[in-house]
Amino acid sequence: MRTSLMGSVQRRWFQVPWEFRESALFTIIVVFAGFVLQYSGAGRGVIVPPLPYNAIILLLFAVLTLGIGLSFKDNPTVKWFGGIPLGLCLIIAIALLSLIGGVVPQDGFMEGSLADVLGISRIFSSWPFALTVLFFLANLGIALSWKLVPFSINNIQFILFHAGFWIALSCGTFGAVDLQRLVIPVEEGQSNNLGYTMGSGKSEELPFSVFLKDFALEEYPPQLFLYNPHTENIIVDGSRAAVQVHKGLKTSWKGLAVEVLEYLPSALPGKYDEPVVADRAFGIPFAKVRITALSKSHEAWLSTGSPMLRPSVVDLGGFFLMMMPGQPKSFLSSVSVTSEDGHQKNALLEVNKPVEFMGWKLYQMGYDEKAGRWSKLSLIEAIRDPWLPIVYLGFFMIMAGNMLFFWNGIKQKGGE
Amino acid sequence: MMDFKTAAITAMACWFAGTLMDLFARRTLALKLPAFALSFAGSMVIVWFIASYWIVLDRPPLRTLGETRLWYAALIPLVGFLVEYRWKISWLKYYCMALASFFLGINMLHPEVFDKTLMPALQSPWFVPHVVVYLVGYVLLAASSVAALHNVSLQLRSKSNETGESVAHYLALLGFVFLSFGLIFGALWAKEAWGHYWTWDPKETWAFLSWLAYLGYLHAWRYKIDQAKLQWYLALSFLVLLVCWFGVNYLPSAQNSVHTYTQS
Ligand code: HEM
Repeated sequence: MRTSLMGSVQRRWFQVPWEFRESALFTIIVVFAGFVLQYSGAGRGVIVPPLPYNAIILLLFAVLTLGIGLSFKDNPTVKWFGGIPLGLCLIIAIALLSLIGGVVPQDGFMEGSLADVLGISRIFSSWPFALTVLFFLANLGIALSWKLVPFSINNIQFILFHAGFWIALSCGTFGAVDLQRLVIPVEEGQSNNLGYTMGSGKSEELPFSVFLKDFALEEYPPQLFLYNPHTENIIVDGSRAAVQVHKGLKTSWKGLAVEVLEYLPSALPGKYDEPVVADRAFGIPFAKVRITALSKSHEAWLSTGSPMLRPSVVDLGGFFLMMMPGQPKSFLSSVSVTSEDGHQKNALLEVNKPVEFMGWKLYQMGYDEKAGRWSKLSLIEAIRDPWLPIVYLGFFMIMAGNMLFFWNGIKQKGGE
Repeated sequence: MMDFKTAAITAMACWFAGTLMDLFARRTLALKLPAFALSFAGSMVIVWFIASYWIVLDRPPLRTLGETRLWYAALIPLVGFLVEYRWKISWLKYYCMALASFFLGINMLHPEVFDKTLMPALQSPWFVPHVVVYLVGYVLLAASSVAALHNVSLQLRSKSNETGESVAHYLALLGFVFLSFGLIFGALWAKEAWGHYWTWDPKETWAFLSWLAYLGYLHAWRYKIDQAKLQWYLALSFLVLLVCWFGVNYLPSAQNSVHTYTQS
């Protein structure tokens, strides 16, 4: 037999066992209370104390939840409180609040505007979101307590999913205050131990200093463009391919054929218009092209230019044939990090390859984009997140539950 | 390399001819196998195109929306064939091939600038597993929605359809598994590339929302809410996924997103 939503229509309000109506009402009250709290705090949002206080609060909360779940197993209100109907309503509430966060830009609002005061422009650190998550954790925790005690291996899939999510969500939210992200700007040949918080720009002294030995940026080969200065448009050809320069490249735009006769990745202008090969540290890409239009052809040198050198382009009567520097392919900083007590470590920092130092992770973040390949400045981000291991524990539990779910899903159906 | 238009038209022709032949195979059973071979060949053409495109680009073709549409076009019909093989349900594959043709059609109307470059943040061992797991998840959930939509239409004509409902359920379940992996892989990658595993970036928020939608479905199903009503829910859940997949680019919140696919 299928029981359905409709099955509850005959029930009077608050007649036990409670179901969706009571859950929906409760959820609405929680969200509303959250908005009232947010408004009365003039939009200041939730403030969680840092370690160790947040860990103590979270531990107490966990003990309380499990305690209530286990001590009042048969109490109808507690049964409802740890049940799927309330869980579903809270999931919907979290989804709707996240929807606000997914549509309304989450920065750049005016201080004191209504959206700001209600927390809509900072929904994920607002009271309505925090309260909903708190009750969600309580609901999930109580459901969990019943499957944890008495322990049975048959419940392992449920436990991995629900405990994993409980851990990741609670530690991620309670631990957010302890996350430190500081940007350290360093110039080549210099060192710095000051980090800046993004947005506020406040600086903070780090327990170590970073010395930048070298910053290097590698680019993809330059690209050829036909540019119309009147419409400021780049003209693409039939194949619509971005044209990467290499020796022997042949490409064409309507009525115009271009062939790359020679390509020098790094050169400097020489005498008689002929560039000379130069070290990568100073040189810029040059390409000799043959341009054929209306069965007449001529040859010319193109170059991309640099902060010191003007680019060479070819004027085709209203259009320009240009060579643009390629997109950055990789950039990396060779640094040496020294702690206050003289501990030292040499490291190469690259995007996607952070390096660990004294509980901090150092990331290659950026550089002076105007200077491009010639940037002498590297932006390094130092990040410390003491809660990371436990959040990851939650992630891995969810993934383990997921694998069981996948496997059992197939087995279940295979057996039917 | 094969030209995209040729590949797309060949694939669509295969699917179309395969579908026609399959319809005739209801009378003439001998046509069953050639019909399948023809439809399958359609997907293989796209697989072949993706492989050669990968070689030419020198990077996995997963960077732009158009590139991901190629993968959907190749994979969605395969789900239809698997469902037919496993469940003896033949109608799903027609919808799947139609959806795949639709994706190829979009790509033919909006040819992209093909560009070999891959920005540094995408050069990661996580790039391929993250995107592929998501692709598979979306493909399964697309098929689940298609099945649910079919079930809804049967309901409206008061036909009961228990197998159809369990197909939609099973595809949603598998899709949820892949969605969960995709979400967590994304978080682990974000930690390496951007420094934090979760920043409520619009793309992340929408991925979380679509995950919640299917989480809600699974619990409603567990709670034994009428399976027939849940077909509506499943059919509509895919809309959330669609916003997540390519609608995010157009939302006001996404102006500074690090995740939007390159618009070319
Ligand atoms: C809101 C709080 C939640 C409650 C009250 C809740 C409760 C339940 C219950 C009672 C079941 C049925 C278990 C059984 O029949 O043995 C279930 C199944 C399930 N839950 Fe939850 N759940 C919640 C949140 C979550 C979350 C956040 C996740 C994902 C990480 C999740 C994933 C699952 C899955 C995948 C199943 C089906 C597989 C299974 O039975 O183990 N649930 N849940």
